[in-house]
Amino acid sequence: MNKKIPIVMLILLFGLQSFLLQTHATETQQQYDYKSAEFKAVASQFMCTCGCGQDHYACDMAGCTNTDAFKADLIEMMNKGMDKDEIREYYVETLGEEILTAPEKKGFSLTAWVLPFVTLGGAGTGVFFLVRRWTRRSGEIQTSNEEMNVKDEVEEEILSSIIDEERKKYF
Amino acid sequence: MYLLGNASIYIGLALTIYSILVFIIGIKIKKQTLINSGKGGVIAVFICMAVANAVMLYLLATSQFQYEYVSNYTSSELPLFYKLAALWAGNSGSLMLWSFFLTMYTAMIVVSRKMQGNPMVPYISSILLINTLFFFIILGFVSRPFALLDYVPAEGRGLNPMLQNPGMIVHPVTLYLGYVGLAVPFAFAMAALILKNVDDFWIKMTRRWTIIAWLFLTLGNILGGQWAYVELGWGGYWAWDPVENASFMPWLTATAFLHSVMIQERKNMLKVWNISLIILSYALTLFGTFLVRSGVLTSVHAFGDSDLGMYFLIFMGVIVVGAIYVLMSRYHLLKRSAGEFTSYVSKESSFLINNLLLVGAAFAVFWGTIFPLVSEAVRGTKVTVGIPFFNTVQAPILLTMMFVMAVCPLLAWQRSSAKNLRKNFLIPAVLSVIGMILMVTLGIQKAWAVIGYGVIIFLFVTHYLEFYRGVKARRKMTKEPVPIALYKLMTKNRRRYGGYIVHIGIAFITMGIIGSQNYDMETMKTLDIGESIDIKDYRITYERLEQRAEGINDIVYADLTVFKDGKRLGVFQPEKVFYGNWDEPSTEVALHSSIAEDLYMVLSTWDENGTATFIIKVNPMISWLWIGSIMVVIGSVFAIWTGRYQNITPKYTGVMKEVA
Repeated sequence: MNKKIPIVMLILLFGLQSFLLQTHATETQQQYDYKSAEFKAVASQFMCTCGCGQDHYACDMAGCTNTDAFKADLIEMMNKGMDKDEIREYYVETLGEEILTAPEKKGFSLTAWVLPFVTLGGAGTGVFFLVRRWTRRSGEIQTSNEEMNVKDEVEEEILSSIIDEERKKYF
Repeated sequence: MYLLGNASIYIGLALTIYSILVFIIGIKIKKQTLINSGKGGVIAVFICMAVANAVMLYLLATSQFQYEYVSNYTSSELPLFYKLAALWAGNSGSLMLWSFFLTMYTAMIVVSRKMQGNPMVPYISSILLINTLFFFIILGFVSRPFALLDYVPAEGRGLNPMLQNPGMIVHPVTLYLGYVGLAVPFAFAMAALILKNVDDFWIKMTRRWTIIAWLFLTLGNILGGQWAYVELGWGGYWAWDPVENASFMPWLTATAFLHSVMIQERKNMLKVWNISLIILSYALTLFGTFLVRSGVLTSVHAFGDSDLGMYFLIFMGVIVVGAIYVLMSRYHLLKRSAGEFTSYVSKESSFLINNLLLVGAAFAVFWGTIFPLVSEAVRGTKVTVGIPFFNTVQAPILLTMMFVMAVCPLLAWQRSSAKNLRKNFLIPAVLSVIGMILMVTLGIQKAWAVIGYGVIIFLFVTHYLEFYRGVKARRKMTKEPVPIALYKLMTKNRRRYGGYIVHIGIAFITMGIIGSQNYDMETMKTLDIGESIDIKDYRITYERLEQRAEGINDIVYADLTVFKDGKRLGVFQPEKVFYGNWDEPSTEVALHSSIAEDLYMVLSTWDENGTATFIIKVNPMISWLWIGSIMVVIGSVFAIWTGRYQNITPKYTGVMKEVA
């Protein structure tokens, strides 16, 4: 019985996630203008080069000299039927990878994406073995305390503080 | 004034060298008079720096354009407030402010009543003075604040209009206070190691310093975000710019430090790790300064290309190598008293995971920030690492972090039995699953949002239970009314309950981030006068376009009448400001905020015939970011507040030396 509850919860959680991913994937999209979802998906891939530090979707045209033309080009390509990936490949070929707001997920640039998680995984494994070593050491020392009943921590703290206070009062 | 300003810097430099020398000699030959002289020197150095800053403020206020700095960053029509704020608008001025805080902190330690008779003081002071010396050398020979021009310009170049915002005035100051604040625990740690005091005295001694530095770093980042939100007109608050990253990294490692010290205090473990964390945090503040001052990476924060960054890099190298040397030379002492863990599932191990994730997140930020340089070095191709990268990489790490934060309070120290786990986590788990199901049925269906909010519900419930059980336990013994029991519970363990308030604040901030990142709406339309834009429940009607002059600036603004569900909310005026002495115009956003969402209105472009283009956004839950930030401040202040039951500064019990 005890084990069933967490298992059921896990199943529920995973079921819920796959359901969510599905609904997310089938979301309907609107007609596109400069602020439409489709245009956002395309334009936010590219970094504006006017020094605003934003992508071409976010860059406000009034302060920027080149996003205007860039946006027009993007719309033109989208009208020709090119999809997000084709447009990206086109610009990477002509302007280089620097134009993208994030490195590509292939070749050397893949290391940018992967290394943080590899490091975390490695460090996590290290921590696991460390805790195991510490726990074993402690196990050797106090095997008899295996069934030690740990009292609720808050209660213990309150109790000790009250005892302290009482002691101060009387001594 | 020229003489006074320069003299205060060079005399300060000489006094710094003198103080370092007398401290070192005083320690060597154990002569208290030399140590006392050094302490006097510290105060004199502080006075010099205060005078230098005061002189600069006077020059800025009186618009003395013969000074290069004054002419570069101010103009005569600037309001006095912003003239004074130009102190931290440029390289040398901001370094002067930094040095002022550093010398102020050093003087505070030297004169502190609690530090009297503590043999660590000469060591701590020397370490901080070495830092001060670096700044004096920079100010005296590399980036001279009081340099004169060959001529007297009729007018200054003016302050970058982007910086003319109250948020921008406070943001750099709080960040500097945070950066400099981290130097203090670093100096304490080094002094403790040199003195071979390997207990947790230095940690207890610097607890308040570290929390204050952390609080200022937090505030600095939040105020920067708030400024970006209202001033840049892109509707965001965090762009993962290299410089933002540079202040986020020490924040992450300092947060890790604040948690891992608890293991050292309780179990006498992780000593090497804690010292490494504080070295890392301080080194990262210097790394951040290197990024801002070197122009090596493109950033909106850059102070322009100068070789100043190189000096910071070298200084950082010296500090790190020196610190690692001290750490290694005491490694055998630190190693000796390693403790043990009783169980895999305990508060201790959750703190380890917390540290792993926080440092992991810091590494991910670091890696993303320097990847453009790595890529260029390895394959000669430049890449840009922007918002999508950081959002993708950080989201899972930080969300897991939130989960650990939710779980940790209810885990017991030593060992959590299966019974204990079930008792503590069944209710929060059930409630958060119910919450998630409710969200899905109510239409919140994006995976990140549902999981994120689920974790936040879990966090709220576990934290509520922590307060509830504490109060219940107290009342069982004392029969006090609930508010009194709660008050006494919290004030008797300020750090713990202050920490929980901070956690709840962070949860609010996360709510704001998840909501605004996943459910923002945006539209851009060109309107004729009288036409409207409909977005969500809002109708925004364009009434008129006008221009007005303010000093030498011209402001173009539009009147927009906003209705929500047919109810009139009022007239709002988004603006574009054109500056008399600056090329780029700036955007003044019109904002209607509520607890649920912000209506964010930007005037983009317009034509002579009166048509105008507007960008309108609805950003959900932004207010929670600011509410959460206030809670973080309240929690931090609550944690460090000196109360009746606090024993914040313990008595020194380490190695005794003849001088103090």
